[in-house]
Amino acid sequence: MRPLATLLTAFAIAASSSALAQETPAPDQPPVPAVDRAAGLSEWEKINAVFSHPRCANCHVEDDHPRWSGTHYGETRNHAFNVQRGTDESGFGNPGLRCTTCHFESNSNVLHGPPGAESWHLAPAEMVWFGKSSAEICAQIKDPERNGGRTLEEIAVHVRDDGLVGWGWAPGPGREPAPGSAVETFAALERWNAAGAPCPDG
Amino acid sequence: MRLTVDGREIEIDPDPEMPLLWALRDLAGITGPKFGCGIAACGACTVLVDGVPVRSCSLPVGGVEGDIVTIEGLADGDTLSAVQQAWLDEQVAQCGYCQAGQIMSATALLDEVSDPTDEDIDNAMGGNLCRCGTYPRIRAAIKRAAAMKLARA
Repeated sequence: MRPLATLLTAFAIAASSSALAQETPAPDQPPVPAVDRAAGLSEWEKINAVFSHPRCANCHVEDDHPRWSGTHYGETRNHAFNVQRGTDESGFGNPGLRCTTCHFESNSNVLHGPPGAESWHLAPAEMVWFGKSSAEICAQIKDPERNGGRTLEEIAVHVRDDGLVGWGWAPGPGREPAPGSAVETFAALERWNAAGAPCPDG
Repeated sequence: MRLTVDGREIEIDPDPEMPLLWALRDLAGITGPKFGCGIAACGACTVLVDGVPVRSCSLPVGGVEGDIVTIEGLADGDTLSAVQQAWLDEQVAQCGYCQAGQIMSATALLDEVSDPTDEDIDNAMGGNLCRCGTYPRIRAAIKRAAAMKLARA
């Protein structure tokens, strides 16, 4: 049996590297979708380039402080004015100083004026991206306990359609946008999901 | 367009992109809110829209919905609001330029937190800058105003 098992293992490894391949099912099991790790990781890199970009990660923080970054800031720093997540953990700031005190429905056209989009607020702390590795972000995205209870398809649609997410690609004067576009990132998420949604090694 | 400011209706015809502060000061003649930085970074222009403090220098007037309250609308006739009275009692102002915005943010804080701690005050007032450094008196005035409001309640 050992030579046959070795042969099957080699076949499985070869099949996993092909975009169109499927794992060979046991005789009494239905076919399962292929996990094309190489193709999936290639798509994940595009997704991670967006999620880890400062336009996105600066408000996906684990602590209570959104971040500021940009060429004129030097190192990334905490948002000025003692702006915080909010003692109610809502992500909308504190009484007397809400996010919407300064961040309105659209970007200020004045250089260094406040950026704006609908429902400006911090992502929940469990959705942390700031300071996290690609593998850590990938694991978070796939974990319903930490992604808002979303399927990967729902995450893709959220990235494509949400106004505040979309701000990352249109952040106003003086700010570098996230790479690509909402539609391109949606498509990358769809292809990553179809390839088995592999995560890089941590 | 029509705006409700300090309890009265005003009719103005601004470019929708005009900041609310410009509309208030230049079109409606309500000069209590002050221009400081023009980028929502100092707080001097703060007014309330439906009770939420906003930096009127950066809010396009075309997007304003709700009742606006400025420093000129806090008093009830000749009776100052608790925050205004506390500001006088503590002699908070030095040059005074930022104080209209400070009072509006303090008012918003006390509308939600009736007996704020030092941390509550720091969390609420961090976006209102005072070049004269009146912060200790601002904190004292907010605590005095909280006590006055509780006593009145």
